[in-house]
Amino acid sequence: MRNGATQNAGAALASPAGVTHDLLDKHRTTGNMFRAAAVLFAVLFVLGIVGFVMRLQDGVSNRAVWGYHAALFAFILTAAQGAPMVSIATRLAKAHWRRPISRSAELFTVVGLFNLLLFIPLLWVLPSLEDGRRTLWFFGQDEVPSHSPHIWATIALVALILCGIALLWVSALPDLAAVRDSSTGRRRRLFERLAFGWHGTTKQWHMMRSRLDILGVFYFMMMVGVHFLISIDFAMALVPGWIDALFPATHAFISLQTGVATVLVTMFVLRRFGGYEEYIGLDQFWALGKLLFALSLLWVWFWFSSFIVFWYGKKPSEQKVLELLMVGPYLPIFIASFVLSFVAPFFAMIWNPVRKSIWGPTIVAAGVLIGTFLDRVRIYVAAYSIPGIGDPLVEKHDLHEIPSTVLPELPDILIWIGAISGSILVYMVATRIFPPINIWEQKELLLYRVHRRFHRTEVTVLGKPD
Amino acid sequence: MANEKWGMVIDVDKCIGCQACVVACQAENNIPINEEAHFNQRRAIEWIRIERYWEGEFPDVKARFIPVLCQHCGDAPCEPVCPVFATYHNSEGLNVQVYNRCIGTRFCANNCPYNVRFFNFWEPAWPESLKNQLNPDVTVRSRGIMEKCTFCVQRIRRSTREARRDDRQVEDGARELNPACVNACPTETLVFGDANDPNSKVSRLRAKEKAQDGRAYRLLENLGTDPNVTYLKKVDKGAKVATHA
Amino acid sequence: MQEHVQLTQREINRDLLSGVLGTPKWWLPSVALLALIFITGVGAFGYMVNKGVGVTGLNRPVFWGVFMVNFVFWIGISHAGIMISAILRLTQAEWRRPVTRAAEVLTVFSLLGATMAAALVHTGRPWRGYWVFPYDFPRGVWMNVRSPLIWDPSAVNTYLIASSLFVFVALLPDMAIVRDRSTGLVRMMYSFMCLGWRGTPRQWRLQAVAGILLSALVLPVFVSVHSIVSWDFAVQIGPEGWHSTIFAPYFIIGAIHSGVSAVAMVMVLMVWLWGWERYITPDHLDAIGRLLIVVGTAWFFFFFLEWIFALYTLEGPEIALRELQIFQWPWSGLFALFVVTAFLIPVPLWLFRRVRRSLLLMFLTTASVNIGMWLERFLIIVPGLMRKQPLIFNWGSYQPSIIEVLMVAAIFAWVGMGMLVFSKVFPLIPLFDIKEGMVGRDEIRIGRRTVPASIRE
Repeated sequence: MRNGATQNAGAALASPAGVTHDLLDKHRTTGNMFRAAAVLFAVLFVLGIVGFVMRLQDGVSNRAVWGYHAALFAFILTAAQGAPMVSIATRLAKAHWRRPISRSAELFTVVGLFNLLLFIPLLWVLPSLEDGRRTLWFFGQDEVPSHSPHIWATIALVALILCGIALLWVSALPDLAAVRDSSTGRRRRLFERLAFGWHGTTKQWHMMRSRLDILGVFYFMMMVGVHFLISIDFAMALVPGWIDALFPATHAFISLQTGVATVLVTMFVLRRFGGYEEYIGLDQFWALGKLLFALSLLWVWFWFSSFIVFWYGKKPSEQKVLELLMVGPYLPIFIASFVLSFVAPFFAMIWNPVRKSIWGPTIVAAGVLIGTFLDRVRIYVAAYSIPGIGDPLVEKHDLHEIPSTVLPELPDILIWIGAISGSILVYMVATRIFPPINIWEQKELLLYRVHRRFHRTEVTVLGKPD
Repeated sequence: MANEKWGMVIDVDKCIGCQACVVACQAENNIPINEEAHFNQRRAIEWIRIERYWEGEFPDVKARFIPVLCQHCGDAPCEPVCPVFATYHNSEGLNVQVYNRCIGTRFCANNCPYNVRFFNFWEPAWPESLKNQLNPDVTVRSRGIMEKCTFCVQRIRRSTREARRDDRQVEDGARELNPACVNACPTETLVFGDANDPNSKVSRLRAKEKAQDGRAYRLLENLGTDPNVTYLKKVDKGAKVATHA
Repeated sequence: MQEHVQLTQREINRDLLSGVLGTPKWWLPSVALLALIFITGVGAFGYMVNKGVGVTGLNRPVFWGVFMVNFVFWIGISHAGIMISAILRLTQAEWRRPVTRAAEVLTVFSLLGATMAAALVHTGRPWRGYWVFPYDFPRGVWMNVRSPLIWDPSAVNTYLIASSLFVFVALLPDMAIVRDRSTGLVRMMYSFMCLGWRGTPRQWRLQAVAGILLSALVLPVFVSVHSIVSWDFAVQIGPEGWHSTIFAPYFIIGAIHSGVSAVAMVMVLMVWLWGWERYITPDHLDAIGRLLIVVGTAWFFFFFLEWIFALYTLEGPEIALRELQIFQWPWSGLFALFVVTAFLIPVPLWLFRRVRRSLLLMFLTTASVNIGMWLERFLIIVPGLMRKQPLIFNWGSYQPSIIEVLMVAAIFAWVGMGMLVFSKVFPLIPLFDIKEGMVGRDEIRIGRRTVPASIRE
């Protein structure tokens, strides 16, 4: 049965050394387009700082104006910090198609550092527990510190970010060592430090693999934990009468869906502008397209599971919450996010020709990103616009009056543009340090995938190591 | 088209817990005899019951009574869950039960927050001597189906039909219109009538007591079932005012 | 390291058809015993129909008892078949091959069991049960499509038809093999059932396409069935403890937890009863054990959410319900047993490779999960009804009667009996799938190491 692997594609990419050489070359050079984009995003980021300063003029006591900021924080948490899950889940499932994209997904952990900055103002905006609202810290409001939400959310967020960066770093060690070995001077000294003395001994490889698994599982658990704390303390608890046990899970789940979308868009950019066409191919778009299809079905299922219980139950307190979040002041936003997060992905991705293309999944994924952003706006802006939270004299078990729509102001728009540009900028800087395509995983694939003759046809044989 | 909306007002302040209403209902509606065993099995059928709550510690203890019957909710939770439309809302504000259609899933009973729907766990039986006193206007329900208070719909039907025949209006609070429980109540705790008629006693009581400092409330109102029975609070000078703190 | 046994087609045929072409010694007595239990249960049901639902322990307010518990439990078990078959087939997991058939058949029989437990047994007038179907057009009386009890039969029937088709399509090549080895009337029967299977390339292609298509189409059905079962409870506002948005995912993940555990039990039983240890190896148990760790932990997360939010409400009946569940005997004992058997014992044990690869330990842990998950449903349904609303005058209790116990035992016996009878008529491990796996298996040598590999299109 083993007649020797017949390698197609006689290019240099067929040999491990060729792959290393090519990817290191691409990593070393910085194109003009990259520089131009970096400058552009830096300028936009400065605009965001201007917007933030304008926003600070209003102070933190008026919570309603901070809704869009909170939505932005939640969006970046959802979109960027969910992206590494694409790499973690597929690595645990030993899917080979993940190899070219695992690094670009893991690089998003760095954006978490930037998101931490966005989180800081929220700590001042969110009132303490002394107002007697319903809270996750229900066991005796006098016995827990009244800033429990602030404390625990910060700890969890920092832990998530540290865990993510550790994951990125561990998985990048062999590549950093490869960069080190191929460079000289200051660059070599820098990467010597970054590679932590990686020499590729058997022991180091074993250690790395087990660390990757553990950090991956831990990252997922931390992510669910952070979504749990943020979604309850920073959104649900601010809406009296909103008791939706599924919401933390939905919040975390949307992060998985949006993470896939983020990775799809990143893949497209890397392929088109980063010069990685030979690595990121239809296989990846097809696989992630299928995943996006399944996840969009799950999206509607999660949404409906919450919706039907509230709608069918017809309790006044729950009707008010539905009105606030869906059919009331934010109805257009809800419809838009429903279409972009479910209808469009579902009806586009159901067609194999669309799924198995470059543009199809990319456009749909961009839609999902916008849909998720609108979804976060709908929830956080609505939650932050409820009056009476923070005031111990106001009864907080039912929502009596629906506040009107809060529209974005100039500072909000500036902050959006700045924060999203800032995230992209951080990502771009990170790709200068960590090669955006995983070199060692790519080389591994050459070992595990061979082509053989099988009776009268040629087949691909894929190895699945334990 | 009927434009009545039958409703009830229950003045808890007047209730002395005598259970006359329970007995009257039992006789009027052919409800099987509740033996001791039925109570022990928690399967007694009482379309109206007096719930008794104890307040305070011994020697300073008070009994509180509240008559509970089907609330004929405007948004009845029992109605949408019935798979076969055995229970539905009619045009007179009554929540009605179609015995022949019921298949006994007991879904409605679970979804009733007031626990006023009853299941026939056994074939109903009466002693031979009581066979002849069954009310011919009311179906005897077989085992395996649900039943509940109808606001004595047979009495409403008969009195409105006779009034139409004689070309007159049904008199508000007439004995032949009132459900058996209302007629039996010695203290006039229960008041029955057409809530759509602003001059009926029910409407006047509701209007008066819904005003500021009125005593009107409805059971488990936070569930949004829109009950058709209004309760009037007990007047208790010694009671502390409960606040939502 | 996966051990690799290469078997010839002749050996595969001989081993896997042993139950169909011959009769194991234990087969008849066990089927007879299960049939006896089943018939006793049917007798109990007849008694209940004759006397009324009063012969059960049900009362006001606990109108739903162990029949509903069994309905939810068996619907949950039925999710295993699709979980294993469809998802693993779509993700091309190699270890699914010997397990798919048994899992699918378990689905079919447990669905039938669930239907018996709920639709037939549990109603007050079972002889009128057909009224939940849209049949009565002439009289203009239709069923009430707003009721979850209408969604239920629709979803369950769809699922039953889909999973039966699933089993049937996968059975075609195997029935043809049995046909070729039998004579007379039996041969005619198999010829009829295998729809003229000759194994032409076109037939194979159609069969493969049908399998993949059914896998993909049955997945939404699988999710909807248990969601709808959960909405039977969650959409109600009567019992406060049931009115929670978490129910649909919580029930689904719980169903997968108990269902995959049940499949693991069936796998071990197949090794013990038919001696198929060359087909179901510790590798397979290892794989299902890993899957179970993930599923069990996810289930625990939803369990945690359900509890957190019950307390988050700070509402009377919710708190009273939780108090009942953890502090009042015997509910506290049942609750402790449930948490321990459904999660605290099995999941930590599965973390050890030795446990995952041991037949006996896997059987015991997965059986423990199923005990726990049965109790979970019991502890949701019954205490939820016991503490419906703040009107404490109506709080009650419940204890199943002997009639109910007999009927519950009958459903368990029914599923076991069904599986055994099926194994006599059809091979319980798909022959063609195993052969395909053997053909498609390959190895890649990297340095000094040999990595198992398989052929992909």
